[in-house]
Amino acid sequence: MNTRLLVLGVNIIVVSALLAVYGILVGNSGLVGIALSVGILGGILVVYSTTPQDPSVVALASYSEILVNAVTSTLEDLDLLESRICAVKRDNYTYLVYSKTTCPLGVDPGVGFTGGSPYLAIPASTPSVLVESSSEPTSSTTLLERSLTEILVGEFSACRGVRVEEEGGFYRVHIMGLTGLLKQYLERPVDPFTLFVLVVSSEILRAGCVKLIEKKITPDGVLIVLRSEKSGAEG
Amino acid sequence: MERRVSILLVVYTFLVVISVISLYVLGERRADVYVSLNILAYYISYAIIRPSYTSRAVRALNIVLFVLFAIIVAFRIYEVLVS
Repeated sequence: MNTRLLVLGVNIIVVSALLAVYGILVGNSGLVGIALSVGILGGILVVYSTTPQDPSVVALASYSEILVNAVTSTLEDLDLLESRICAVKRDNYTYLVYSKTTCPLGVDPGVGFTGGSPYLAIPASTPSVLVESSSEPTSSTTLLERSLTEILVGEFSACRGVRVEEEGGFYRVHIMGLTGLLKQYLERPVDPFTLFVLVVSSEILRAGCVKLIEKKITPDGVLIVLRSEKSGAEG
Repeated sequence: MERRVSILLVVYTFLVVISVISLYVLGERRADVYVSLNILAYYISYAIIRPSYTSRAVRALNIVLFVLFAIIVAFRIYEVLVS
């Protein structure tokens, strides 16, 4: 919310209303036209004052930089650069798990071993702006799309739009119009878009494990394919 | 705020000021002409700059402005047909 723009817009609307009243009183329809035009300008400023300000996406980019650097070096040390990532729900927490085994469920935060191979589990808190299911029946795909749009577009301005499709148990998440600040992380083992999608999917789909099946960079953004499972492989 | 949104608002405001001054200087007295040109100025700015941010409020605004513009145009066409 941009308060200065909001105040400016409201002021313009008030002035235009006064001008319109004056125009009507003196019978000058040209003045009324100007007042209406200026009033629309004020209304548009008010609507655009609801756009998130730069610091949210800048802060996310800065946080991503720190996270990517730290996690990438840890993954290198554990020889997990070619590993798979999944989101595991355990004890009301969501863990983003990098592992070469298939979605280990019994993970603890940090570095550990499961089935003889190492894993790195990063605890993630649930984003506060998740869209709750209303009284009317809503599909999980719609809820997931709304929540991701709310977070990635509304909260962080990280992209222009999100589309989710379900196909044979696979969720295809299209993230379009990525912001330049975060695009650079797409080629890295840790990228904020994948992490957001996994955490939000895990929460919305209420699945024990959400696996990243494929990540493909498209001309317009990125396509992330997920599969949710009620239970993964116990570690 | 996103840089593109700021540019959009500056370009739009500039176009509105130019159109309003021009119409008033030309002696235009019809209020709907001012409104329709304003909406046109908004859509031209929006189409050129294409802000990456499109919230629910912005989408609703776009629809409302389009409906208003369509009503004005329809009314003008109706006037021509009736006369």
